Amino acid sequence: MLAFLLLAVLSVGGLVVRQSSLRYRAANAADAAQGKAPAFSWPAYFSWLRKRGREMWTKKTLSRAWAVLKSWSTDHYPGPLGWAFAGLVASFLYQAASGLAFAFFVPRGMFGLALLAHVGSGGLFALSLAAVLFWRARDYGPGKTGSSTFSGFACPVFKNLSRSEVGKMAFWALAFFGFIQIATALGSMLPVFTFRAQVAMIGIHRYSALALLLSALLFADVVFLPPPKKYGDTSLICPQKWTDK
Amino acid sequence: MHRKSKSQRKRGRFYFSREKQNRPLFLSWVAGVVFLTADFAAAGQTAKPAPWDGSRVTPVHQIPLKDEFGQTIVPTERHPLPFSARTSCAPCHDYEVVRKGWHFEAGPASPAGRPGEPWVLVDDRTGTQIPLSFRPWKGSFPPSALGLSAWDFTLHFGRHFPGGGVAEPSEEEMAPGSRWGVSGRLEVNCLGCHNARRSQNPSEWAKQILRENFRWAATAASGLGEVGGMSSRLDPTWDIFDGPNPDDTEWAVPPSVRYDRTVFDSKHRAFLDIAAKPDDARCLACHAAAPAAVPKFDFDEDVHTAAGLACVSCHRHDVSHAMIRGYEGEGKDHPAVLSEDFSCRGCHLGGRTAAREKIMPGRLGAPYPKHNGLPKVHLDRLSCTTCHSGPLPAREPARVRTSRANRLGIYGIANWVQDMPAIFEPVYLRDTNGKLTPHRLFWPAYWGKRNGKEISPLRPAAVLEAAGDILFPEKPVTRILAALFNTVDLPGTPVLFMDGKSFEVNVDGGLDAAEFPGAKAGEMRWAMKKDGAILPLVADFDPADAEAAAEPEIFIQKLLEALRTTEAAPGEPVLIHRGFQYKIVESQVEKIASPEDAATQGLFFWLRDGRRLPFVPEFERRTVGALANSGKALTEEQVRRVLETLGGPSSVYLAGGKVFKLGGENSLKSEDHEAAEPVAWPLAHQVRPARQSLGVGGCTDCHRTASEFFFAEVRGQGPLLSRASSLRPGSAYMNLTAPYHLLFGMSFAVRPFFKIILGAAAAAIGSVLLAAFLLAVGRWAGLTEKGR
Repeated sequence: MLAFLLLAVLSVGGLVVRQSSLRYRAANAADAAQGKAPAFSWPAYFSWLRKRGREMWTKKTLSRAWAVLKSWSTDHYPGPLGWAFAGLVASFLYQAASGLAFAFFVPRGMFGLALLAHVGSGGLFALSLAAVLFWRARDYGPGKTGSSTFSGFACPVFKNLSRSEVGKMAFWALAFFGFIQIATALGSMLPVFTFRAQVAMIGIHRYSALALLLSALLFADVVFLPPPKKYGDTSLICPQKWTDK
Repeated sequence: MHRKSKSQRKRGRFYFSREKQNRPLFLSWVAGVVFLTADFAAAGQTAKPAPWDGSRVTPVHQIPLKDEFGQTIVPTERHPLPFSARTSCAPCHDYEVVRKGWHFEAGPASPAGRPGEPWVLVDDRTGTQIPLSFRPWKGSFPPSALGLSAWDFTLHFGRHFPGGGVAEPSEEEMAPGSRWGVSGRLEVNCLGCHNARRSQNPSEWAKQILRENFRWAATAASGLGEVGGMSSRLDPTWDIFDGPNPDDTEWAVPPSVRYDRTVFDSKHRAFLDIAAKPDDARCLACHAAAPAAVPKFDFDEDVHTAAGLACVSCHRHDVSHAMIRGYEGEGKDHPAVLSEDFSCRGCHLGGRTAAREKIMPGRLGAPYPKHNGLPKVHLDRLSCTTCHSGPLPAREPARVRTSRANRLGIYGIANWVQDMPAIFEPVYLRDTNGKLTPHRLFWPAYWGKRNGKEISPLRPAAVLEAAGDILFPEKPVTRILAALFNTVDLPGTPVLFMDGKSFEVNVDGGLDAAEFPGAKAGEMRWAMKKDGAILPLVADFDPADAEAAAEPEIFIQKLLEALRTTEAAPGEPVLIHRGFQYKIVESQVEKIASPEDAATQGLFFWLRDGRRLPFVPEFERRTVGALANSGKALTEEQVRRVLETLGGPSSVYLAGGKVFKLGGENSLKSEDHEAAEPVAWPLAHQVRPARQSLGVGGCTDCHRTASEFFFAEVRGQGPLLSRASSLRPGSAYMNLTAPYHLLFGMSFAVRPFFKIILGAAAAAIGSVLLAAFLLAVGRWAGLTEKGR
């Protein structure tokens, strides 16, 4: 359990730092190009992060974010599918919050009404994910959306992934780990698997949930959050020195 | 050669001569004294027993038996003493080590460990059932709290006690007024467990304890000899050296032993059929528990027994007799426990000891349970016994009787079994390790004095003394019936019909009640039972008709003469019949007209100072009628009256989970109190087969709205006839909230549909993922055309 908690902290924290540091680089790129400031420095980054954080958690920003999300979902999930998307997001948010909260703060594990709601929202998650996948999977196929402009994501390892490609990967990762979540939850309810298998399924469920959370964070960053206007589709993901161009 | 002088011979003393020729003799004498002293000294020390040599065979025990003084018993002697385990077994088995074992060493200083079944002091008359224990277990009182000395305790509970411990006190520990000098000490009864002879008789043990023949009890119970006589009838000054009294061979006969000589060989060595591993019957003599409602033929033994295991297969120990109790966490309570392998988990699942050492499962072939479909939380939060032991949960916990509490397994002329205390199972509580565990419990009932929040119990004898006849409501009835027995030429057995029941005196001087459909409620009449038929005590006749009344009036005279002998009669017995009053005046029956009683037939009453008193006072009549066949010992009215005699608002009575105290205006008030909470101890047996475990029928065995597991009605029971008693759902004892588990149980009603939804969603998602994967592989391999 300690390993899981450490991994959760490091991976989620690492991803958040990674994505935000890239945005910082993009925001700082002009000054860096003119030599007014280094391309990246940790103190400057944290200062920028604090400032952005304060700006984000204002009523104005939150309502703007809600409007963006709403308009995005209306565009991409019109009609009844919007409900499926809303259900997916709501159920995921609750499950992530309850799962993390109990994992970190309650050694006994999830219990009580929280567990009941967690399991119940799991059903909603399963149905809405199936609906979303069924109707929208095609849109996340290769070459379907976005430009083919390449720019490294997991640089310096992968150098030629565009933002839209990363979004697709995040989508399919979401789908895959969501499937694992549903399968392990369902498996533990069936009188088929032995106790050892039950224990293993709980472990898989836990780590898969973490992977699902990371995929969702990446998806949200790449798909929902607008890129820095100045740099469009490029260089958001990867610092300029690692791009091909 | 030195000769003794005449005076030296007369003195008869060994006279040390100064002559050198006597020096060798002197030295021999000194050497002899030294040798004998050393020999006695050696005899007083326990020889160090040899360690186990590895043989799997129990040595044949053909050994000399010794009495408590270490003298070899010769069975052919007159008045041999009973054998002593301390001296007979000691050369090979260290008695002092054995008596520190779990069965023998209970005391406040000994580690409490997990609570076990307490001793229960029961007194039907005062409605007392109070848990006692020498170990500091929650809810139990130390015997000293009730003024019970080691002697009192041994007398009360020695019937199911293995000896040793408090029953073998040192000289300093003997309380004044005890009779240890007469009875002897009750040593550890080795043969009580280790005798393989079928003649080992726990009933004989109980009988000898009752007779205060403590030092003889082991001999009698083992069947090695017959023991006659009773220490209880001897003077307190008698001791074993006094021997029998030739002037009294009928009443105060000291105990004596006549050994079975066929057991002894020519060298006076007795053959003891020793079982190193006792038979289950030895354990069950004291540790049996059986549901009250299940007939004997239908009672299933523990699944481990059915599989061929014995009690001692798991409850093992070495010579220290530090018995392995076999519960989870025993290593934490008793760090010196011999092994932690023998808990349910240890044998079946493995795990780790308190010292974090690995336990390998599978001992004695214990099967590994797959627990298919069982969520992990159950093994974390529930003990194994919750699902596998004891009776299945029902709407109400079931009544169970145990050997030690209800005095089971003692057979003879007297009936030892007692109905109280009323023990119930299963009720699920948190064990000391926090896991839900099935328990047996009973609600204590006793009289007490309240001091702030504390309630200290009163001795039943003290309550009895203060309450007097309040606690003997049947006395007026039994006295009258006993007096009627004295009626000359009475053709049947006198009985009383009252409130739909018939009452008859039994051999113990109490009343036996039976339902009688013919009797009307509220009616009271005296009658006779003859050949199964019921006859009125006073047949109907017309007193005005002298001829017809002659014979009945003769019988009435006999009745009234007999009734005059009633013990503690409050007046003169008088009969009213059809307008005439009959009473005895100067040995003759006086018949006086009483026109106002023209409609009355066969009514008896007492006449005192010109006043008519009811034949059976109203309080006694109400109480006897209410308690008859109720299984209860006291009514609320009795409790109120006794509390008044005990004096003060600080006097209370506890029963059924409530504390009763005097309210205003002749009323009784009840309230909750921690002292009235039930005393509980975990149960582990009988273990049911896996196919009868909780959950074999699915989650809804426990998780449903009407679940007996969570929502059984646990109602406080006790000797008091009252509507006021504790009533709680089973979940309250588990420290769980009932509404949540109701909701959780409701969710299982839709769970099958939920699984279908999840399955369908997983199938849909899986198929999309599979299709996407195949497409991606195809594109990568160039098998499919890339998207335009």
